[in-house]
Amino acid sequence: MKRRNNVFKLLLSGPYLIWMAIFVLVPMGMVLYFALTDPDTGRFTLDNLMGIEEFLPVFGESVWLAAVSALLCIVIAYPVAYVIAKAAPSRQRVLILLVMLPMCMSFLLRTLAWVALLEDTGILNRLLGSLGIGPLKLIRTRGAVILGMVYNYLPYMIMPLYSVLTKLDRRLIEAAEDLGCSGTQVFFKVILPLSAPGIISGTTMVFVPAVSTFYISKKLGSSGTALIGDLIESQFKQSYNPNLGAAMSLVLMVMIFICMGIMNRFAGQDEVSRI
Amino acid sequence: MEKELIRLADIAMQFDGEEVLRSINLTVRDKEFVTLLGPSGCGKTTTLRIIGGFETPTSGEVYFDGECITNLPPYKRKVNTIFQRYALFPHLNVFENVAFGLRIQKLPEEEIRSRVLEMLALVNLKGYERRSTDALSGGQQQRVAIARALVCRPRLLLLDEPLGALDLRLRKDMQAELKRIQQQLGITFVYVTHDQEEALAMSDTVVVMDKGRIQQIGTPEDIYNEPQNAFVADFIGESNIIDGIMHEDRLVEFCGRKFACLDGGFEKRENVDVVIRPEDIDIIPYQNGHIKGTVTSVTFKGVHYEFIIDVDGFKWMVQSTDYRELGSEVAFIIEPDAIHIMKKSEYSGMFGDYSTYSEAYDRDIREFDGEEPQEEKQYEAEE
Ligand SMILES: Nc1ncnc2c1ncn2[C@@H]1O[C@H](COP(=O)(O)OP(=O)(O)O)[C@@H](O)[C@H]1O
Ligand SMILES: [Mg+2]
Repeated sequence: MKRRNNVFKLLLSGPYLIWMAIFVLVPMGMVLYFALTDPDTGRFTLDNLMGIEEFLPVFGESVWLAAVSALLCIVIAYPVAYVIAKAAPSRQRVLILLVMLPMCMSFLLRTLAWVALLEDTGILNRLLGSLGIGPLKLIRTRGAVILGMVYNYLPYMIMPLYSVLTKLDRRLIEAAEDLGCSGTQVFFKVILPLSAPGIISGTTMVFVPAVSTFYISKKLGSSGTALIGDLIESQFKQSYNPNLGAAMSLVLMVMIFICMGIMNRFAGQDEVSRI
Repeated sequence: MEKELIRLADIAMQFDGEEVLRSINLTVRDKEFVTLLGPSGCGKTTTLRIIGGFETPTSGEVYFDGECITNLPPYKRKVNTIFQRYALFPHLNVFENVAFGLRIQKLPEEEIRSRVLEMLALVNLKGYERRSTDALSGGQQQRVAIARALVCRPRLLLLDEPLGALDLRLRKDMQAELKRIQQQLGITFVYVTHDQEEALAMSDTVVVMDKGRIQQIGTPEDIYNEPQNAFVADFIGESNIIDGIMHEDRLVEFCGRKFACLDGGFEKRENVDVVIRPEDIDIIPYQNGHIKGTVTSVTFKGVHYEFIIDVDGFKWMVQSTDYRELGSEVAFIIEPDAIHIMKKSEYSGMFGDYSTYSEAYDRDIREFDGEEPQEEKQYEAEE
């Protein structure tokens, strides 16, 4: 019985496992291979990884901007998700649709739209100009990059928060009130801790793509502050050096894992100690 | 007699225009154990939520210790609640769940610690402090919920079917334990249940409710022995309810005969409902009886047999330790103190004839199902 069950499971999951093997494991193996071999001789070497040292500030900048974006996303998305989760069921569907709507448009298009808005001669500056202000330096700043990240990835934060908040048991809130919690205390003692899983998965879904993005920084950032994604891209295009690019990807991946690990650890402290 | 602690004055409640409670008047005294008893959907939970402050009544007032608290939010009331299915905080362990209310009060850590541990000892959960609440059995979760509410030393504890999800044996143990805790701490309990045995066993006062209205308030003995209408008589235990005519004080006619009884105070020739409990009927040799009939069903119940006896088309339930054969002709007598007379009510004619015995049984099952009792496998060896 048990055996047949296992065979069945294997059959069901088989196509996906094969897919994973071909399109995830093999490329990862190739990244590893390129990262650890010399471009000319093809021999094993750590030179590529060592070569990354000079780019470390770029890594730092990428992580910093992605982290700030993720934090801003939490701050903006939480009230939005909360309001949606509290709305009447019929209205909830409409609101969720509105949140998802921008995602139906091309990512590139959305970013280009911000360029048109923020440019020195863009819509915003012209508007300000007609009021006698500016022109302000809006584009090619860190702020513009963060804005682009927050704008593009915000729905990925709203969705998991919304799903956690709708599942929140109303009786727990009543229990907290019963035990003497005022409105704000209920929020900080019960609602916020219980939405930790949503915050974690939302942060993951924002932070990971944000830290490795190259298009946003290219269009909205200054040439001086390239992000790690831009660097990797250029290794495969302009200054053709796939081995260095692979090494950078590898380091980035490890860094993301470490960040995720730290975050899960943080969240774990609030959770019950499961013995 | 203790003084009044909580009073509901002419409470009515409507949800979307639908009347759920009507003219609820109830006084609960300090240290009293009051039970709201009634079938599923009769408004017990709503009444409790109004006392707790989770609902505001459409009209009427709630008084606590003489003070009107109708519009006071729950967190400002000196009342704690044990919710149907506990509502323990999943992100906190047992200790922190119990400590929750004390931390809100910002008590010193030392006091919190000692009070939580004392309370966990009281509910037999010593050593479970660091457990996660979802690693506990239903009975243990229940006791965490009790400790969490009691540690705040409320004047009044509200309990909404707290034992509904437990199996029978555990339920009996917990009934005794709750009663012990209530007496030991001297706290007022308002307890909700749809289980009449539980209500009779635990309460000082039982409030029988149906269709959003209070049907009767009284001690368990009152409720059982002197039901006020056919609903109460049928809901609390088994009853034969027969149409009768009151000729004068202490003389009632039913089944074509006049019987001496102990009740009075009715109009001359007033139509009444006569209640006779199945265990109060004595089966005697055929020729000597007041009332004669045929046994149409026999069920062995352990302590006694339960007979359904057809008397001219009306089916009586009779309980007796003596066996009678199916189909045999029997007679019974009814002593004056076995007869209870009730005024006619909207419930007259709806209950108390066992012709529809199996249907009545089905109805009880449905009522029970309405409460969706969570069948839970209890871990053995609770302690
Ligand atoms: N929040 C609510 N909105 C609408 N109807 C409700 C609400 N709460 C309870 N009711 C209705 O009120 C009636 C009484 O419910 P309740 O007090 O929970 O009964 P009980 O606890 O005795 O089973 C039921 O018909 C129920 O459907
Ligand atoms: Mg209820």
